[in-house]
Amino acid sequence: MSIDSITVAAQLINFLVLVWLLKRFLYRPILDGIDARERQIAERMSEAARVCESAEKAAAEHRAEIQRLKAAREEALEQAHREAKAERDAMLSAARARLTSEQEAREAEREQEARRYTERLHRKGAAALVALTRKALGDLSDETLEERVVARTVSRLARMAGDLKAAAGDSREAVVTTSGTLPEELRARINEAVVGALPGTQVRYATEPGRSAGLSLRLGGAQLGWTVDDYVDGLQAILDDAGARKGRAGAA
Amino acid sequence: MELTPDDTIVLTVGGFALNATILFTWIVMAILTAVSVLITRNLRPDVPPDRWRTTLEAIVLTIQSQIDEISARPDRRLLYFAGTLFLFIVTSNLLMIVPGWRSPTASLSTTAALALAVLVAAPLFGISSRGLGGYLHSYVEPNVIMLPFNIIGEFSRGVSLAIRLYGNVMSGAVIAAILLGVAPFFFPVVMDMLGLLTGVVQAYIFAILAIVYISSATTPPDSSSLPAQEQT
Repeated sequence: MSIDSITVAAQLINFLVLVWLLKRFLYRPILDGIDARERQIAERMSEAARVCESAEKAAAEHRAEIQRLKAAREEALEQAHREAKAERDAMLSAARARLTSEQEAREAEREQEARRYTERLHRKGAAALVALTRKALGDLSDETLEERVVARTVSRLARMAGDLKAAAGDSREAVVTTSGTLPEELRARINEAVVGALPGTQVRYATEPGRSAGLSLRLGGAQLGWTVDDYVDGLQAILDDAGARKGRAGAA
Repeated sequence: MELTPDDTIVLTVGGFALNATILFTWIVMAILTAVSVLITRNLRPDVPPDRWRTTLEAIVLTIQSQIDEISARPDRRLLYFAGTLFLFIVTSNLLMIVPGWRSPTASLSTTAALALAVLVAAPLFGISSRGLGGYLHSYVEPNVIMLPFNIIGEFSRGVSLAIRLYGNVMSGAVIAAILLGVAPFFFPVVMDMLGLLTGVVQAYIFAILAIVYISSATTPPDSSSLPAQEQT
């Protein structure tokens, strides 16, 4: 066992050469490859981190957009609800107004119809009353209604001459109004009574075809006469009272 | 019986005798270089590593991790040096299973050359790392009285490295040769298996010790505590 100096030197050189060879063909390529791969991995990790960050940012934006859309939808729904409620209220108000208007129109029409009916009834009642009165007067005293009315007016004129003068004031014209033209005989009786009761007073005759049977004498602010309307009104009151009694009995 | 391959002259050219130690060293060098070239010739970042390249990377990274664990100042030059030590020794030892193989590490000249390389490398790495003054100052620490002891210690490191490796490898061959005469059909197999194990362990120990020596030379004494030297 000995150490050969030449072999030692040769082995030392061989070892140094092997160090160079392995450095050239093993370590550097391997380490460079590892470094390159680690750089690549680091770049990919960095890229992945960037992508992840971008994705998180996009996700945050997406969530914010969803929140915004949700809020907008809620706002739109709320707005729609408000508008629908307002429109419903408006439609209800319009319907109520229309209903009220229609009710008022129907009420007015009903009242108008009632008035027309009352007027017709009034006229028919008056006509019937006049006809009955004429027939009764003709049958009982052989007089016409106009004669009886004039007689009644003349008698009242004589009794109320003082009151008429006071009410007439400065007026010196008496207006006699009837539904039809009075016969000359009856006019003469009226003229005579007026002149007798109210000296200096002129009598003028007027006709109103639509008015009820009877006679009215107007002197200034005073009026005297007789018409069938008073009796018809009394008849109407009797009929209304009878209808009301019948309604209460039916309800009971 | 030839205890060392230095005595086996393979070829004589012009008065220069080529012994088995140098020849088999060249073979190991050729094998290592050829394998490295073959595996790393198509090494590109875009090509995924195959199993051989992965094996080489694992070996290199394992050596690098060992250096990182031991040395306070990891250096790639240390990887080149210690890695080559390990690969050369382990390849030489593992090839002992090949019939007729004469391991270069069974030669005291080889182990002495490797120890000498470590002895020279340690101050070089130390000077490179700490500067000439800093490195020389380590010989008079903790005081100047320790100068001769530090020099002796430095020299004894190389001697112990060389003797340890040579002794372990050569003793394996000697024991195998002795037992071959006792039980020629059983013991050689067992000894070859044991030789493979001890070959790897010796390569590891030699490389680790080299790293420790060089690291102790490159690291200031007060910068870190050095790991305890491994002994066999």
